[in-house]
Amino acid sequence: MVAKRTMTLNLTDAEMRVLDDLSARKDITKTAVLRQALRLYQTIEARVEKGDKLLFENEATKEKAEMMFL
Amino acid sequence: MVEVSTIYLLDVVSGESVEAELRDAIEPAQIDDWVTKWQPALLEVLQSLARRGVPITQWPQSWHWNWAQKTAKVQGLLAFRGFSVVARGETQGLAQIDLTKSGREPSQASKPLVYIDYLEVAPWNRPELGAAPRLRGVGTALITAAVALSEEEGFKGRIGLHSLPQADAFYARIGMTDLGQDPAYQNLRYFEMTAERAHAFLEEE
Repeated sequence: MVAKRTMTLNLTDAEMRVLDDLSARKDITKTAVLRQALRLYQTIEARVEKGDKLLFENEATKEKAEMMFL
Repeated sequence: MVEVSTIYLLDVVSGESVEAELRDAIEPAQIDDWVTKWQPALLEVLQSLARRGVPITQWPQSWHWNWAQKTAKVQGLLAFRGFSVVARGETQGLAQIDLTKSGREPSQASKPLVYIDYLEVAPWNRPELGAAPRLRGVGTALITAAVALSEEEGFKGRIGLHSLPQADAFYARIGMTDLGQDPAYQNLRYFEMTAERAHAFLEEE
C-alpha cells in the first residue's frame, strides 16, 4: 500500500454537506471523494492545458454545453 | 516508490510454480521488454498467420497496441496507474488502469470503480497465438491486482473493462457481469465485477 500523509481540511457546513452527500451516493469514504476530485481536477486541467475543451452533452436532447475551466 | 509483491505463476511445461514480481507501475524496463522482446515475438506470430492465410479477424486483437505511447500519455496523472508482472527477468504482462470511471451494472451504477484500460499478456504466454504458453496465471494476477487496488481505493473491489472479443470468455469465466456490446466503444463488450463478486474472487485467488 502506498504511504499516505494526513492533513486537516477546513470546510464550511455547505461544503461538508456536499461531501457527505457525495460520499453516500458514490459509496466511498469522504477521503476517497476528495482523492477522486483531485484526480479528475488534474486530468481535466492537463487536457485543457493541451487545448482540449470540456463539453457536456445531454443524451436525450443532444444539447451541448461547454464548461469554462479557468 | 514502486511496490513489489511476490506472486506465483505456473510453468505450463514443467507444471511447477514460478516466483514472479507484481509491480504497481510500468517502468522503462517494461517498455524496453515490450520493444525488444514482445514486439519481435508478436511480429513472428503475425508473419506466420499471414503466411498461413489466417484472416485478420482472427489475429491477436491487441497487435497494434503501443505501450510506449500509452504510458507516455498518462505520465504524471494521478488518475492512471500501471501494473506489471515480471518473471524470469522478463515482463510477462502489463495493465493500465483508469481511476476516473464509474459503474454501469445496476447494483453499482455511478459508483467509482477501477477501470482496466488495457491488459496484455506477453505473446509467449498466450495460448490463442498458436504455441504452447510458457507461463499461466499472468492475466489473472493482473485482474487480482486491479481488484485489490479497488479495495485499497475504497471502491469495494468494483472493476470494469471493455473486452477484446478473444478475451470475452476469460472475463465471463472469472465471474464478471457481461453488460453487452458498447456502441460508444467500438462495440466491444463491457464487463464489470460487482463488489460482491470481487470479494469472492479475492478469496478464490
